[in-house]
Amino acid sequence: MFKLIRRNLLRNKRRTILTVLSIAIALILLSFLDLLLAAMSGVNSANANRLVVRHAISLTFSMPAAYEQRLAALEHVEGITIMNWFQGRYIDDRPENFFPRFGTDPDTFPDVFPELALSPGEIDAWRAERTAFIAGRALAEEKGWEIGDVITIEGDIYPVDVELTLRGIFTHATDEAAERVLYFDWQYVEEALGNPGQINSFYVLLDSADNMNETIAQAEAMFENAPDQVRAETEAAFFLSFIEMMGNVQFLFSAIGLAVIASIFFITVNTMAMASRERTTEVAVLRTLGFTRSRVLAIVLFESLAVGVLGAAVGLAVMPVVTGAISSVLATQGITFSELRLGERTSALVMGIGVFLGLAAGLVPALQAMNMKIVDGLRRVA
Amino acid sequence: MNERLVEISDVTKNYRRDEFDIKVLAGVSMDVSKGEFVALMGPSGSGKSTLLNLLAGIDRPTSGLIRVAGQSLGALNDSQLAGWRHRNIGFVFQFYHLIPVLTAFENLELPLTLTKLSRAQRRKKVDLALDVVGLADRKDHYPRQLSGGQEQRVAIARAIVTDPRLVLADEPTGDLDAASAQEILDLLAQLNEEFGKTIVMVTHDPRAAERAGRELHLDKGRLNSAADTALQG
Repeated sequence: MFKLIRRNLLRNKRRTILTVLSIAIALILLSFLDLLLAAMSGVNSANANRLVVRHAISLTFSMPAAYEQRLAALEHVEGITIMNWFQGRYIDDRPENFFPRFGTDPDTFPDVFPELALSPGEIDAWRAERTAFIAGRALAEEKGWEIGDVITIEGDIYPVDVELTLRGIFTHATDEAAERVLYFDWQYVEEALGNPGQINSFYVLLDSADNMNETIAQAEAMFENAPDQVRAETEAAFFLSFIEMMGNVQFLFSAIGLAVIASIFFITVNTMAMASRERTTEVAVLRTLGFTRSRVLAIVLFESLAVGVLGAAVGLAVMPVVTGAISSVLATQGITFSELRLGERTSALVMGIGVFLGLAAGLVPALQAMNMKIVDGLRRVA
Repeated sequence: MNERLVEISDVTKNYRRDEFDIKVLAGVSMDVSKGEFVALMGPSGSGKSTLLNLLAGIDRPTSGLIRVAGQSLGALNDSQLAGWRHRNIGFVFQFYHLIPVLTAFENLELPLTLTKLSRAQRRKKVDLALDVVGLADRKDHYPRQLSGGQEQRVAIARAIVTDPRLVLADEPTGDLDAASAQEILDLLAQLNEEFGKTIVMVTHDPRAAERAGRELHLDKGRLNSAADTALQG
């Protein structure tokens, strides 16, 4: 029976290959969206005791620098640092020369971001020099930077060109995307601008993640009546809100995923129905030879199932290449969530959908084959 | 020779096409003895293929009784009928109906996969059947690599590979040239005479019918008893 199923699959190779590839591509897209959502929701999960305070209206608004001291005085705060998105232009506007550039405070940054590993000597060197900067290992390797190299970043948001000297290269144990970022002393820009004293966001380290909600409430309440009200949120939530500036990404991704699955389902149903219809007489012959209805049902269903599973297998085989490529592109665009990796959950999801597609698409033709009257099937061609 | 293998008693078969009731068989009764070679003749629409389908258990009569090898077919449900068909019936179609993706060997092996026979036992039976039809050297050929006559011989081999009690052939020479048709008729006659197979063959061709031991004529759904002719013994 399996020989017959295998041969039937190879009967029209082009059709089988195209169907398998359609399923594979759809599942690659779907699993990529799933990975992206998972990565977004799980961003910086290692830093569950860090929160971000920003302007209540939008990320593009800034707050007085004096808020830092008041936030630092909250009960459970162990550390706080500033973070300003500088952007600017490195060499030119080509995408490969784009990477996140933040202005921060070298005195407080290492305590708030302990997962970014720098040697004490590098930290001291960064703090000692106003024009010093640090970069992640992945970024430094990509750009071929070495300690002591000088780079220039042309200002765009801020009308200041900064000339920076590399004094430290940090690493992250698990997240390569976190190593594709540059940090420098914001004071450099602050002085050049005439000390406007405006900050995009404060990163606040708490003594325990258990105190997150309490501190968020305290921080927001503290500036409730101030001209610049704030919004405090976990770092993961902050990242999501950053991403969701583009719209309701999660809804969009889910809708795209469902649309992809629905369309590939109908394509597969049509293909399997076509394949089955072409073999109506053969099914009637099998029944004449003594194959029972249930055996005929099994043959058609297994064939369809094989197409679905093959599609999923091809998708899973190709997926690491796709995620690797897209992950690299996202990292250069400043999307710094954990690396996209095909885990057991997503693999199981892809295989599960492949199995579902195969079985569901084969069900109607299988039932038709099972319930067909033998004499009608024989009459079809003869 | 007189043991009755097939008993058909007052069988009718009606089809409904849209609002019309079409009476295909109208009270047919007949017997076929074990070892007989019967030719079922009649014009198009006379009901001969329908009668053959009823004998094979691939269709059910509107009324009447059909008993083959002592088994009343009306008493069997679909699943039981499939098993019974597998054990008792070998069917030869006008257009051969070999599975195109399987070789001659695999086509013959197909009905045997429904049994508990081992691979070696299946191989032995398939080789024997191919030998009987003279196509042992074509066992690895796909249907498209065979001539029409060869395809029909493979189909006959498939029909006998399970060693059925009754071989039913529906216009087995209808799609063949004269020489190939002659070969097929020789083969059927050989199966009947040398292997004692009971055969009921539907045909239009009087020359084909002459190879049978008895001719039955159907006309407008009724057996023409006057034309029930015993030939050759």
